[in-house]
Amino acid sequence: MTAETPARPLRIRRGSRRQARMDLPQPPADTAIWSQGLTKCYGTRRSVDKIDIHVPVGALSGFVGPNGAGKTTTLRMLLGLIRPSAGHGFVLGHPIERPAGYLSRVGAMIEGPTFHPGLTGRANLRLLARLRRLGPDRVAETLSMVGLTSRADDRFTSYSLGMKQRLGIAAALLPRPELLVLDEPTNGLDPAGIREIRSLLKDLAGGRMTVFVSSHLLSEVEQICDHLVMIRDGQLLFQGHVTELLAAEDPRLILTPEHPGDAARLAALLCDHGLRVDPPEESSNGSVSVHAPEGTAANLNKIAMNAGIALRALSACRPTLEETFLVATGGVDGDLIPRSRSSPDTSTGLLIAGAAASNASGRSS
Amino acid sequence: MTATLLAEWVKLGRSRFFFGTLAAVVSVAALGAILTMLSVGRSDYDGVVVTATTMSRPDGVMQGLEAVSILLGVVGLAVTAAVIGADYTHGTLRNQLMAQPYRLRLLLGKCLALVAFVAVMIAAATVVAVAASFAIAPVRGVDTSAWHSVAGLAEIGKGYVNVLASSLGYATLGLLVGVVFRSPAAAVSVGLAYALPLEMLVSRIWSPAASWLPARLMDAMAAGARGYQVGYETAGIRILVFCAAAIAITLVLFARRDVTS
Repeated sequence: MTAETPARPLRIRRGSRRQARMDLPQPPADTAIWSQGLTKCYGTRRSVDKIDIHVPVGALSGFVGPNGAGKTTTLRMLLGLIRPSAGHGFVLGHPIERPAGYLSRVGAMIEGPTFHPGLTGRANLRLLARLRRLGPDRVAETLSMVGLTSRADDRFTSYSLGMKQRLGIAAALLPRPELLVLDEPTNGLDPAGIREIRSLLKDLAGGRMTVFVSSHLLSEVEQICDHLVMIRDGQLLFQGHVTELLAAEDPRLILTPEHPGDAARLAALLCDHGLRVDPPEESSNGSVSVHAPEGTAANLNKIAMNAGIALRALSACRPTLEETFLVATGGVDGDLIPRSRSSPDTSTGLLIAGAAASNASGRSS
Repeated sequence: MTATLLAEWVKLGRSRFFFGTLAAVVSVAALGAILTMLSVGRSDYDGVVVTATTMSRPDGVMQGLEAVSILLGVVGLAVTAAVIGADYTHGTLRNQLMAQPYRLRLLLGKCLALVAFVAVMIAAATVVAVAASFAIAPVRGVDTSAWHSVAGLAEIGKGYVNVLASSLGYATLGLLVGVVFRSPAAAVSVGLAYALPLEMLVSRIWSPAASWLPARLMDAMAAGARGYQVGYETAGIRILVFCAAAIAITLVLFARRDVTS
């Protein structure tokens, strides 16, 4: 009666199962999460389509995509809740077909905090602690970590959304996980709650725990994560360090002549020097946006000065992660409000395969 | 296994649920015992005249509990279907599977906790039914001396085992519908609709079916097969076969199906 649950590898015939196991790819030693061609189909629809994920050990990694992109389905596969239709996955070095090998070292909150409504917060944690053979001390410890001690003996139904989220995180922290997987942990939280969660996640990641946080709010991920996995329509768009993605974005410089009337001349001048200049916008107040890295600012200033154009301001414009995401996804997600951008042809082709380019905007730094 | 049993008991042992179910069960048991004793001198629902002589026999003490065994079975079915179905609808099964990834071990722990819960409830019902029978018997002129005898105590023990076996049979049906429908409302309503009106109608229209339909067999088991077409041993074997099939289906579904809710 103790047979493993699992999610056995599909599409492998019984007779060839042993051979198939021998043929399993081996993940690099420094990855907490690793997958190759991970796929989940529901009928003819592919929710997750051949995703290759590599999350390094110790990373605070963001898992980003619009609603319906396949984030939760991927997380469910990684946690052994659903079986992949194809592909391989490893978590903490163990294949996802055998979740018992790693789940004792994984804490997770998937699809929001789900607890028994009739039980108190403490009783809900006690139930999970008993399953993990943990004592009541650990329950009290995790309640304290998320600041719920004073309300621990109230029913779960009486909790605010923020408190429910914190209880969910407490449940995930119960086993002192090496890998913490959180699905939209800041959903529904007020700004103070979001700051608290952000701070908690940073502290946890600082303690050598690998944290994998899914979110559709890129601004959220950008502020807390150092590593990023982006998906859309079940397919991987990008993965790597956040700085890599930002560096791959098209940096711009905003030049503002002292006299707005000089803007057109300045734009033509910069074009003559082979630079790509965005068409002027009504709202630009005479500013000229040129596609160039921050390091060229001094040269541009000289060009303007040599042409007799005094600059009132010169600033670098670095795209946010959200803008990069909007470029990649076409800004179609209802949770993200696309901002206008003057350049419709910004390319992030180096890192984002097949990304549609449109509707991105800039951030002055 | 002990860990999963104790974990499940956190849910089953919460005061509102435990004492609420206990109150319902003992009320039903008391009602059954009182009405059975008060029916002395009248015909019961099967048209059989209940006499003080028949009630004075050693098995008379358990007549009240056996009369309401179907309701106790319904409690077993409803509790099991609701508890299992709620794990899916509340999404709590996800958390539990992450804490105990061996699914069959988790399900077995849940089942053992539910068996213990049902056993405690039926024990309480038995105590209340016996006590109520003793209290009302003198009022209707029923001699209780045989109830105190060894034979009487044996009948109480046998009656408890029979009603418990019947209730656990209903609970197995509840387990199956809970896992199949993954919703307490759907599981309880479908389970009850099958066990009560559907089987009753079928067996009324075609009487031999009563010897084969699971819920009817469980009723026969609860009554020690007295007054039923089917024998006690035959009923027991058939119930075991049905329960084994239901458990096998439940295990396969629970272990193999994706947890998406």
